[in-house]
Amino acid sequence: MQGGLLNSISVLFVPVFVTVIILYGLYKKAPVYDYFIEGAREGLKTCIEMLPFIVAIFIAIEAVTSSGAMEVLQNLLSPLFTFFGIPEDLIPLILLRPVSGSGSLVIAEQIMRESGPDSFAGLSAAIMSGTCETVFYVLALYYGVTSVKKLRHALPAGIAGYIAGVFASVYLSYIMLIS
Amino acid sequence: MMNYIWSGMLIAGLVFSYFTGNPSGFTDGLMESSEEAVTFMISLAGVMAAWSGLMEIASKSGLVDRMSFLVMPFIKLLFPKEKDKDTIAMILMSFTANIFGAGNSATVFALKTMERLDASNRRSIYASNAMCMFTAVSMSMLQLVPVNIIMFRKELGSEDPGIIIIPSIVAALVSMFVSIAVCRFFEKRSPRY
Repeated sequence: MQGGLLNSISVLFVPVFVTVIILYGLYKKAPVYDYFIEGAREGLKTCIEMLPFIVAIFIAIEAVTSSGAMEVLQNLLSPLFTFFGIPEDLIPLILLRPVSGSGSLVIAEQIMRESGPDSFAGLSAAIMSGTCETVFYVLALYYGVTSVKKLRHALPAGIAGYIAGVFASVYLSYIMLIS
Repeated sequence: MMNYIWSGMLIAGLVFSYFTGNPSGFTDGLMESSEEAVTFMISLAGVMAAWSGLMEIASKSGLVDRMSFLVMPFIKLLFPKEKDKDTIAMILMSFTANIFGAGNSATVFALKTMERLDASNRRSIYASNAMCMFTAVSMSMLQLVPVNIIMFRKELGSEDPGIIIIPSIVAALVSMFVSIAVCRFFEKRSPRY
């Protein structure tokens, strides 16, 4: 049970943090309730500002995934993936992950179900889901609240990290299976 | 940049929906996904308000100053120019929430960080080095326990559902290292930003 301790840390994180904030505020005799209201108001403003960007991203992602454009891209790229020793079953996950978190989770589950959770593809899919982020989605969302128009090296850094994550996931699962 | 990515995605979708003979699918998708976007935002709004409120208490009561002092060396390594304590606290909270798998909270802190970095970037249209580094690290930030993946593995009858924890952390570290290296490479070429 290597997950036991880590799990309980994850579970306790929020309650402990909130306790510390409240107790420290009271100890400093700060008007904690008023501060909370002020902050919450700011937070909701940010949400309203974000909404147009979220609508834009969701529409674009839906257009690509539901129209079949994604499947064509998968077929085109499949020789490249085979060349690098990446199992073919993983291709949909690798291509969808950068744009959609919830969609790629469904695909990861399918891969694990069809190939088996402890198979090469199944392990790779599981590790990838915990490792590789939704690069395009995050960029669109994060830069949506700023006035930035030129992303400079944010995109290459994200993509390079993503590709490194894919390879690391595949090769680590390979190592896990042969050891 | 976003102009091309966004319109490219939409046009690809439109072209393919014509080819597959299902243009009404595009219309349905458009309606559904825009509705989903608002639902998603509403589900995020509560968390956003709650954390923003709590962080306001932490910030104004001086707790943030104390915390940021402890992690300063680590933050200085990635964000050498960052002096603002509230920004540092937001960066830290976003990374921590990510590590503990609190996805929505991590998003909230990340957005607040971006707002603050944008303000200190003097509303420039070019992303600052700090912004690029922040997004790069956020995207490759490791998660200690990928809860839903372990749950899936358990349901599908894996022999040891938790066995992927350590490899996931290692893979995330590799990914993060590469992202940071790419950022550093570009920063050296344009240190002014």
